[in-house]
Amino acid sequence: MTAKKPLRRTIRGRRPVFFQDPAIDKVLAMVVTLGSEFWALRERVLAMEALHVRQGSLGSGEVDAFEFPPDLEEKLAVERREFIENLFRVLQEQSGHSAEQVPTIKKAPRKKKRR
Amino acid sequence: MLELKHDLKLSKTREEKGRINFMSGIRSYVLNDMANSMRSVWDSEVEPKFVRTNKRRPKDGPEVHRFIKSNQYFKFYSSMRVTAQDMVWQSVMQPLDRERDDLKRRARKLEERKLGSLHLQKDFLVPRYASAIDVHLMPGNYDGEYDVDDLAAGALYDNGLAVFSFGLMGQNLDDIGQSIAGFVHLKYPNFKPKKILDLGCTIGHNTGSWKDHFPDAEVHGIDVAAPVLRYGAARARAQNRAVHFHQMNAESTDFPDQSFDVVFSSMFLHEVPRKGIDKVLSEAFRLLRPGGLMLHMELPPNSQLSPYDSFYLDWDSSYNNEPFYKPFRDLKPEELCRRAGFKPDKYVQFVVPSIGWYGEQVWRKSVHEQASVDSDKTGRLTDGIRWYCFGAWK
Repeated sequence: MTAKKPLRRTIRGRRPVFFQDPAIDKVLAMVVTLGSEFWALRERVLAMEALHVRQGSLGSGEVDAFEFPPDLEEKLAVERREFIENLFRVLQEQSGHSAEQVPTIKKAPRKKKRR
Repeated sequence: MLELKHDLKLSKTREEKGRINFMSGIRSYVLNDMANSMRSVWDSEVEPKFVRTNKRRPKDGPEVHRFIKSNQYFKFYSSMRVTAQDMVWQSVMQPLDRERDDLKRRARKLEERKLGSLHLQKDFLVPRYASAIDVHLMPGNYDGEYDVDDLAAGALYDNGLAVFSFGLMGQNLDDIGQSIAGFVHLKYPNFKPKKILDLGCTIGHNTGSWKDHFPDAEVHGIDVAAPVLRYGAARARAQNRAVHFHQMNAESTDFPDQSFDVVFSSMFLHEVPRKGIDKVLSEAFRLLRPGGLMLHMELPPNSQLSPYDSFYLDWDSSYNNEPFYKPFRDLKPEELCRRAGFKPDKYVQFVVPSIGWYGEQVWRKSVHEQASVDSDKTGRLTDGIRWYCFGAWK
C-alpha cells in the first residue's frame, strides 16, 4: 500500500434495528448526535465566558448585542452544513452516500461555488 | 474527560472534548442508569408476565432475551447503546484524521528510546474471523490500514476505548492488567516468571502491566493486526516499558515449546471462534514451561450466571458485531482447559475487583476472600466492576 487513504467511518456489518418502525432507531441516533453537538457547544461557551470573566473583558449584555463579522459568518455557514450532515449521518448511510463523502472545511467552499 | 497521558495522545479542540465528554456521559448513563432501569422493568413487568404465561421462571439467557425483546424499555436501551457505541468511535475520528501523519512522526521519534521491539511479518494472513467485520462497531477494525506504516487503527482503539470505558478501565486503560498482574503477584509471592506472553494484545494496554509487576521478566505481546502492534510498540516506548510485540496468530505461534512462564490474555477469547479457542489454549499449553500459569481475563461463562445476567452480557453478541461472544460464553472454562491438556486439579478462576474502582485495600483482600462470579458486577462494564479470569497451572 503506497497512497494514503481516507479513514473509513462507516461500519461493516449489520446495524441492528429495535423498533417496529426503524425510523425510530434513526431518530434516536439523531437525537443523541444533536445532544452531543449541543453539549460540545455548551462546554465551549462556558469556557469562553469563564476566560473572559477571568480576563475582565466581558461586560454584561455584550454577548447579546454581538453581531458576527462576515468572515465568521462564512465560517459558521460551512460548519453549519457539516453539523447538519453529521446530524443526519444515519440517513446518508442508508442512502449509500457514505460519511467519507461529507465535505471537510476545505472542500466545502468549492461546493458553494457550484451553486 | 479521561485524557490519555502518553506522547501519542491526540490533541482535541474544545468542541471535540465536549463531544467526547458527552459520549462518555451517555455510555455511563446507558450502562449504569438505563441498565438498572431495564433490570427493574424485567423484575416488575416482564418476568412476572413470563411466569404467568409459562408457569415457571426462564431457564437461561436466550429465554430472557426472547421475552424482553418486545419490551419498549429494552428497545430504547438497545437502540441508545448501539448509537453510543457507534458515536464513541466517531467522537475521536476528527482529531485522529488531523493528527495521523504526526502520530507516525511521533512513533518514529519514540524508536530512538531503543526500548522493546516490533516484529511484523510481510504478507501475514489475518484470519478471516478477525478481519471480516468491524468488531464492536469499530470502523476499520483492528487491522484496517490506510497508509504505509499506518497506526491509525491503534490510535482509534486507544482513544475510543478511553471514551467507551468512561473511566472504568483506568487512566491508562490498563485496569484489567494492573488488577490481574498485581493479583497474581500478591497471591503467588514465590512465583517469579521470567517470560510472559500476552495473546491478542492489540495496543498492549494491558501487556505493560506485567512489566510493572514483574520488572525482571521479559514481556511479549502478539496480535494478528499490524497497525495496533505498531501503535502498541510506540505506546509502550512512550511509557518507558520494554515490551516485545510480534505479529503472530495465537492459534499457532512461532515461539518454541516451553518458552513462557505466563501466557495471558484479556478480552481476547470472546473474539475467537470455537475451533480457534481450542487451538489457542492448546498452543498456550505447548508454550508454557512446567509450573507456568495460563490466565485469561474474560467475560464470565453463562454456566455460572443467572439467566438475566447471562442475557445482559450476551447482548453484545446479538447487537454489537461480536458473533463469537455468546458461543464463547456458552463454553465451560474448566472443560476448555482440560481439553487443552491441563490437569483438572490445576484449574483456577478468580474474581478480581477493579483496583481503580475499589482501591487497593479491597483489591488486596480479594486474594483471600473471593466474591461470587454470579453477580451483576462480574465482567460487566458498570460502576463497581470486577474482572473475571480463568486458567490453569501446567
